[in-house]
Amino acid sequence: MIPGFTLELILYSTALGLVSIGLAGLVLSHHLFRIVLALVIAEAGANLMLVLAGYRWDAVAPILTTLGEQPQMVDPVPQAMVLTAIVIGVGIQALAVSILIRIRQRYHTLDRNEVAELMDAEIAATAGTARDVSQEAPLGERPIPPITDDAVQVRGGRS
Amino acid sequence: MRNLTGLLFAGGLGFMLLSIAINLDFGTPTMLIGGAIQSNALQKTGATNIVTSVVLGYRGIDTLGELSILFAAAASAGLILGRRHTTAGTQTAGGFVLRHGGSMLFPLLMTIGFYIIFHGHLSPGGGFQGGVILAAAFFLPLLARPGAQLHHGTLSLIEGLAGASFVLIGLIALQQGKAFLQPMLIQDTLGVLLSAGTLPLLYLAVGLKVGAELASLLSHLAQTESDA
Amino acid sequence: MNEHLVLTIALPLLGAFLLPIIMRSSLAMGVWIGPVILGYGCWILANLWLHGNEQPFSIAIGGFAPPLGINLYVDAMALLFAFATQLLGLIFWPFRLDQDTPKRQALMLLLVASSTGLALSGDLFNLYVFYELVAVSTFGLIAASSSSAAYVATIRYLILSGIGSVLTLFGIALIYAQTGTLNLAHLAQLAPDQLNNDLGLAAFLAILIGIGVKAELFPVNTWVPEVYATAASRLSAFLAGLVSKLSMLIILRLLLLIFHQPEATQVILILGILGVISGEFAAWRAKDMRRMLAFSSIGQLGVIFIAVALPDERGVLAVLALSLHHMLIKSGLFMLADHWGGSLERLRGIATTSPLAAGLFVLFALSLVGMPPLPGFWAKFTLITELAGQTDPLYMIGLLVFLLATVIEASYLFRVAAKMYQTKPTDIVRSNSPDSGSLSLTTASLFGAGLIAATVMVSPLGDGLQAIAVQAQDVDLYIQTVLQQPLGEGQ
Repeated sequence: MIPGFTLELILYSTALGLVSIGLAGLVLSHHLFRIVLALVIAEAGANLMLVLAGYRWDAVAPILTTLGEQPQMVDPVPQAMVLTAIVIGVGIQALAVSILIRIRQRYHTLDRNEVAELMDAEIAATAGTARDVSQEAPLGERPIPPITDDAVQVRGGRS
Repeated sequence: MRNLTGLLFAGGLGFMLLSIAINLDFGTPTMLIGGAIQSNALQKTGATNIVTSVVLGYRGIDTLGELSILFAAAASAGLILGRRHTTAGTQTAGGFVLRHGGSMLFPLLMTIGFYIIFHGHLSPGGGFQGGVILAAAFFLPLLARPGAQLHHGTLSLIEGLAGASFVLIGLIALQQGKAFLQPMLIQDTLGVLLSAGTLPLLYLAVGLKVGAELASLLSHLAQTESDA
Repeated sequence: MNEHLVLTIALPLLGAFLLPIIMRSSLAMGVWIGPVILGYGCWILANLWLHGNEQPFSIAIGGFAPPLGINLYVDAMALLFAFATQLLGLIFWPFRLDQDTPKRQALMLLLVASSTGLALSGDLFNLYVFYELVAVSTFGLIAASSSSAAYVATIRYLILSGIGSVLTLFGIALIYAQTGTLNLAHLAQLAPDQLNNDLGLAAFLAILIGIGVKAELFPVNTWVPEVYATAASRLSAFLAGLVSKLSMLIILRLLLLIFHQPEATQVILILGILGVISGEFAAWRAKDMRRMLAFSSIGQLGVIFIAVALPDERGVLAVLALSLHHMLIKSGLFMLADHWGGSLERLRGIATTSPLAAGLFVLFALSLVGMPPLPGFWAKFTLITELAGQTDPLYMIGLLVFLLATVIEASYLFRVAAKMYQTKPTDIVRSNSPDSGSLSLTTASLFGAGLIAATVMVSPLGDGLQAIAVQAQDVDLYIQTVLQQPLGEGQ
């Protein structure tokens, strides 16, 4: 093994790398489904970090086999927490995918910017205001091409 | 430009966290509560699988919350997708081998699923893992015969009753003057199926609920898949 | 009796699981289940408030003594917020009957149960679980309004809150790896030795960003205007009024108990200031009512964040006063928005057609700006005196920004009010959903009455909040209450 590259460095880098890859994917992707996948990757990293928190050299799985003297076991608490976290993640992902299906059916696109624009137009149409700059969220980075009134009508009417 | 900042941000964050995390003691965790749990888990919960005693005993309310999250996700997906039921007519039906293989796997998967659920307090496994296998058993016919449908009424009956019985088992303990979700009926024997009192019952509720929840989520997704 | 407090979480969950089944057989019985459960929860909490002794106590769930098992920590602050949760859940109960009613009401019960859990829980990972449950049930409820815009708003909110939960989970993993425990009291005991370092700070920032998503913290609040504009108003009122405050409560608790680094409060202060600036300016430019309310809510939560960054119990007092005040006002204003709906232009001359609603708006606006003797004045006055007493120049900036924000707030609120009282009524404004119009006006009047009652009783309320703040700030009390037995001895 290369000196300096200990097992712990590799494992921690894997966990953090997964989180970083996920976050980068969240920022870089334009397709909403890919963004959801990036989220899944980042979550895997966080879960791995949680498992590593309870890892122990030369220890066995925390299942009792005999009464009395026990061998060394890894920490059971992070394992239970990871079980919980994974199930939570599955629930949220399934929900995200079902929302994506509906968006795809309504808007026929899953591009992040297009979808956001269509949404803004629809909100403005529902509220009865012209689309204006105040609809930018405080840190939003949506490119806003001017939208004419009839475009608002067409897009807003599709709901 | 934005891509570059994004990459730099994610990479920088990862590197910063790595430089912090590397100072942690790896492989020698403090086991402050973990160690204490290990030494008294058997006598408190009667389960030899300590992860199970943490999941259902020490952190039982986390598991309840988690079941509620699955329930909320399935109910939300039902709200979102459930308005229009379209059968997947465009998919071609599976061949003879696929269809009958699916049918033959059903009883096997059910057996394995229930085995894993009932032995969750003794060996690796438990309600979540077993529940997923149960869901797979029900979902397999759906993949093999695209026209088939799961009965949503039955599924929601199972998921509701299973979740309710988890809470009710907890409330019975409360009613008997113990704490909410306190394990009961523990016998001091190692490795026997009935050793862990109410824990296997809780895991059965978890397994059924997870199975029903996932099956209904999957069938919702499968039924709307093709009309996009 | 104390043990029964757990029913305020368990019964809504039980109700949520059973509701779809019961409603299928008997709709008439089903519609009463939710309100009855929440009413019973209010009764339990009110009883505890009135008859309990002043001392905080802790409930071990599952009978496992705290550092090993999960506990609920019940002090006056937790009781207050738990009561507010159940009460607001009852007030904003989704009564509307259609084919989605069972699911919508079940999700609402889950939302209330998990919010109560957020107020009471004394375990870091348990807080995370309840926080996720709040998130998922919220997603379902927003998407239940089933417009395309609501779906997009939901998915964007889901992604943002997914980032938040990854970071929170990561922070929890760091803390667990360092200390080996998750119990807040136990962590408070260990924190001075083990978490007063870079690792503790990194963990805190990760958790801050994660929880901050729901507390409308500055960089992660982009979901706010979209969601509040597309979700049902009653849900927006619940989210803006209550859920954001509960997240704030968690951050405050973590800060008081565990993270004592000066950097932590500085970060919160800076993010709070940025939130105030961005929120108030955006609100000033907004052209429809709900967006204006959403942005102003970001601004006001920024103000509360500034108060969170204050060091001693006067700071906690300011947080409590501002939170409760904002809870009352924002809920009322969202109900008014539900009554009117639509753009601000359509409000021209509305005072002649619905004088009560216009009057309520003016009342809320006056209190929000901080006109004495309304409670808003006292809340803001506490914050100003406390900010002025700090030596750090950053707090001075906070004070200046806060005063500027008040001016902007006054400007846009009274612009709207002036529009309402213009003589020339154009067309008659109807609410988008006419049948809910009177209900939401009644609800808004309820909050108006609450505000006036608070004005009358402002000095006993102030004393009460002071006592709560002192109790909440007492770290030793928290540790002693939860960890009565040393580790390992069991119950």
